[in-house]
Amino acid sequence: MRGYITKRLLIAVVTLFGMSIVIFVLMRLAPGNITDIIFESAGYVDQEDKKRLEVELGIDRPLPVQYGAWMRELLSGDLGKSYHYELPAADIIKPRLPVTLELAFLALAFSILLGVPFGVISAIRQDKPLDYVLRVVSLAGLSMPSFWLGMIVILLLVRSFGWIPSVQYVSPFDDLRANLAQFFFPALAVGYRSSALIMRITRSAMLEVLREDYIRTAWAKGQREGPVVWRHALKNASLPVITLIGIEFAFLIGGLIVTETVFNLPGVARYLIDAIQWRDYPIVQNLVMLIAVIVVLANLTVDLLYAWLDPRIKYGRP
Amino acid sequence: MRVRLPVALLCVAVAAVAAGPALGQAQKGADSDKAMKSVPAKPAAAKATAGSVNAPSAAPHPNGKKGGVLLAMHREDLAQGFSIHETATIATVWPGMPCFNNLVMFDPFKQVESLDSVVPELAERWSWQDNYRNLVLFLRKGVKWHDGTPFTAKDVKYTFDMVRQAPDAQTRLRINPRKDWYANVESIEAADPHTVIFHLKRPQPSLLMMLASGYSPVYPAHVPVNDFRGKCVGTGPYKLKEWKKGEYIEFARNPDYWVPGRPYLDGIRYLIIKERGTRFAALQAGRLDISFPGEATKPIADQLKSSGAKLNFTLIGTNVNDNLIMNIKKPPFDNVKVRRAISLAVDRRAYAKAVHQGGAVAGASMQPKPYGFWGLLEKDLGRLPGYGKPEDNKAQARKILAEAGYGPGKPLQVEMGTRAIALYVDFASFVINELKQVGVEATLKQVETAQWHPLVTRREYQMGANLTGLGIDDPDGNFYENYACGSPRNYTDYCDEQVMKMIETQSQELDLKKRRPLVAQIQNKLEEDAARPIMGWRTDYFPMAPHVKNLVPHHNIYNYGRMQEVWLDK
Repeated sequence: MRGYITKRLLIAVVTLFGMSIVIFVLMRLAPGNITDIIFESAGYVDQEDKKRLEVELGIDRPLPVQYGAWMRELLSGDLGKSYHYELPAADIIKPRLPVTLELAFLALAFSILLGVPFGVISAIRQDKPLDYVLRVVSLAGLSMPSFWLGMIVILLLVRSFGWIPSVQYVSPFDDLRANLAQFFFPALAVGYRSSALIMRITRSAMLEVLREDYIRTAWAKGQREGPVVWRHALKNASLPVITLIGIEFAFLIGGLIVTETVFNLPGVARYLIDAIQWRDYPIVQNLVMLIAVIVVLANLTVDLLYAWLDPRIKYGRP
Repeated sequence: MRVRLPVALLCVAVAAVAAGPALGQAQKGADSDKAMKSVPAKPAAAKATAGSVNAPSAAPHPNGKKGGVLLAMHREDLAQGFSIHETATIATVWPGMPCFNNLVMFDPFKQVESLDSVVPELAERWSWQDNYRNLVLFLRKGVKWHDGTPFTAKDVKYTFDMVRQAPDAQTRLRINPRKDWYANVESIEAADPHTVIFHLKRPQPSLLMMLASGYSPVYPAHVPVNDFRGKCVGTGPYKLKEWKKGEYIEFARNPDYWVPGRPYLDGIRYLIIKERGTRFAALQAGRLDISFPGEATKPIADQLKSSGAKLNFTLIGTNVNDNLIMNIKKPPFDNVKVRRAISLAVDRRAYAKAVHQGGAVAGASMQPKPYGFWGLLEKDLGRLPGYGKPEDNKAQARKILAEAGYGPGKPLQVEMGTRAIALYVDFASFVINELKQVGVEATLKQVETAQWHPLVTRREYQMGANLTGLGIDDPDGNFYENYACGSPRNYTDYCDEQVMKMIETQSQELDLKKRRPLVAQIQNKLEEDAARPIMGWRTDYFPMAPHVKNLVPHHNIYNYGRMQEVWLDK
């Protein structure tokens, strides 16, 4: 197992290195840089002043030099300085991380809590009215983009109750209730889409397992529905579901970008978009690397969970 | 000239004492040197001006209540921190104004801005000398910067030398969008700690308008200019408490403010909400007290009204116009006839209805009445290309194009560029459709918004749908910036010697009665030359909660953000 983890981590390093080149090059391929954006806010461009600013920010240097400088900083734990705010990137990113993580975990919790039970119920009530209802609900979840759903939720709330969640971030350490009230709807908006996917996978995996001989044997032995479905069938059907949850966690970040904007949550996902628009290279590069690390670790965790869930899977043996 | 100043100052002082305490009586005549006077921050009752839909705050409420935090809408984070002098966007001016003071400002209670509505601020009075060649400003005593340093004439000289990029300026701005406003200033003299003199190359009464704009705060000489991108040290009614990047900007009352009893509010919090739908849902749900200038379009206002939200609406002009820019340096728009045909083809009134659902008004290059002071009258507008009968205009456009060699067999093909933002695209699409009706085949090119100005600055466009906000409703502030030869914001490169002479002449004209027709002539000429055909002037419905008092939105988004007089009745 240790050997397997070491191997996976080494592969992760190579992946992240490739990722760093991709994001570095992509950002430079996008038209314009921070100086264009700064002058944009002034309504004109003075080429001399622009050049002066580029020198000041170091973006006039050759690309390999800029890449080398970024890597050196990154490896020494320095995330550089935000071009936009003229502050250390770490100071900008750090307070935003808990917001995104809280929303991501709440959304994931929603998606699992809704998706798995609905998937199981749908499978054991196959082709019954409840199954159809749940399938329609899941199809609706897959069809609705989370930002659209978020906006509809806000409009419905304000229209019906003259109320919307706070538009100013409330820390859970200051007021847990207000914090949860603020995060409930965005987490639901993001989680609903993922739950729909999880439900469909759970349903199909369950249907497959429920047809297995050992399940039939369990029924024949007169076991009650609860243990058969939830203990025997679901555990064996959960491998693809776990894989999906791992992938969805990575996709969640994408969903959060718009949801954070719609619900005005000051997380890193929303800020990433701002930083891209600002061509704030240090922020974008480091945030994308952070997301890449999260995705790599999420995938590794899922793989390791396989072994725990299915004793037949062993890592590190020939 | 300078030798005579002490005598003049004495005369001014005597005149000022005799003149009485009314506020906003600056610039009453233009035929002789005048002494100006004031009483600090005691607003005279203002008349409710035209355009109010429901303006409970049009007249100042006396005896405001102290306390409370105003929750203000903000659409984006600060681009250049609080460095107002380095930006040309309302997104910086609006939340920056409460921190600063100007030398003079526009009367917060008057919606229409003009020389008549300029009132004293850090300069308690002023005087024009030598036939409007020297502007003498007498500064208030006892004013302190937020860090406790006394405010003096040195700060004024420092600020405006920096903005006009004087050779001996102490510092230089990283970006300087309004340098041209002060091109006529020859030098600035700090005569004593409380007197500052602007020496002009030629008479220019509009200088006061420029000094009154929200874009003209006085900076402290002892604080490095770069610091303003992260903090704010002003003399204004509010001190910066916290700028939580991307979340909010919070100000607290300045306890040492130089106006006794002001401000009323304990503070202001500008909540940054990037999504427009969320911004207005928050306003509707009572999570915000006031809107953001220029944001409440007619469809939004209609929706808010129909929802039954407890909000008051004030219909105001924004001093922001939609215009067509054509690259005059390149064919086919180097031909004035072709430009004129394009201008003729677009029905301005249909534009206001279709693109803004009636939330815009037709007007030439100065904001139209009743919102603006200099706009052409309706009867005059009717004679300009694009304002008369649409069928006649289009027929004339086709004829002109035919004369220029374009017709059904050889249609004029152009590329219309604009920002990839819905409202710009709507604007461009409308124009493209109008042009199609006169046989012009225009294709739309959407440009990422950040690339728009770089692109037009490099003149890498043929034709564009553009938006221009004017810091002041004044011909000098507009013409020199957008139509003068060589101006960096003259994106079309329109340059006409005759027009330049006309601009210079009106700028020096001291008699308002004579200046108005000159300005009208320029507007007619610009539209006839299709220098930058104006499609319409946007309006705003500025919604705010009924408990917000003494906030009178002006017909210009840039100049009413000081919040000194605002209070909350709750």
